[in-house]
Amino acid sequence: MDLKSGDNDNSEINPSGKVRIDDGREGLKGWLNPTRYGWERVSYWLQRLTGVGLLIYFIGHVYETSSLVNGIDAWNSMLELTQTTGGHIFLMLVIGASTFHTVNGIRLIFTESGIGLGKPGRPDYPYDATSLNYKQKSGIWVAIILAIIAMLYGGMVMFGDAS
Amino acid sequence: MPLLTLRESQIMKIHYLTGIGALFFVAIHILFRLIMPFGQSLEYENVVANYNNVYYVILLELMLIFISIHGFNGLRVILLELKQTPWWESIITILVLAAMIGVIAYGTRTIIIGSGL
Repeated sequence: MDLKSGDNDNSEINPSGKVRIDDGREGLKGWLNPTRYGWERVSYWLQRLTGVGLLIYFIGHVYETSSLVNGIDAWNSMLELTQTTGGHIFLMLVIGASTFHTVNGIRLIFTESGIGLGKPGRPDYPYDATSLNYKQKSGIWVAIILAIIAMLYGGMVMFGDAS
Repeated sequence: MPLLTLRESQIMKIHYLTGIGALFFVAIHILFRLIMPFGQSLEYENVVANYNNVYYVILLELMLIFISIHGFNGLRVILLELKQTPWWESIITILVLAAMIGVIAYGTRTIIIGSGL
């Protein structure tokens, strides 16, 4: 059978005989589709969610800190906004997000360096990827547990100081 | 023509190194908030005193640069995962670089004025 150059893409012939071109990209829908979530996918999603959240916080933090140059009144006005119960709860979320992002990020650096992936094995049914082993899953759990501990410690420092 | 001549593997090495560097700088930054009661450490006089410490000023500037590079490159990676065309890659790279330079410039302004340099 002759192969045309277009036969190598992800095309699919539907019952009506028309060719549907599928480039395989799902975009944001692929990200947010929860039907295929394993722990690795939760970790992938959380790493990006916490990363974007922390970047927004960082920009806000650079902006709020700039009130320092406008004198003590501007600084105290800014503190009145942030040193509240809601502000402390928000900071606890930031602490949790940054701890998860850091610990999971270190796991990913090791993974990309080939550390903790295990040895390649023969693909047997049910074809579980050997790279998604207990070390990787443990790393994700450690990141989540440390994030919770850091949040609680941060809350103790901020609310303990406020009382 | 790609906007950046750096290979993606080189950019990711920079991403990881700035992430690890930022981790140490942020840890020191937080320790400065814990050497006295948290609320007291945020009082104007104490914060200005921090800004008059030359080592702390250097730490702040390095932290600003490292987190900006790491954060905005992370955003670039996320946006390039969603769509891959040369036009999109160039636009995202330009926008992310501009935002990164803007944040670094604005933060540096605060550090310079705050420290009285």
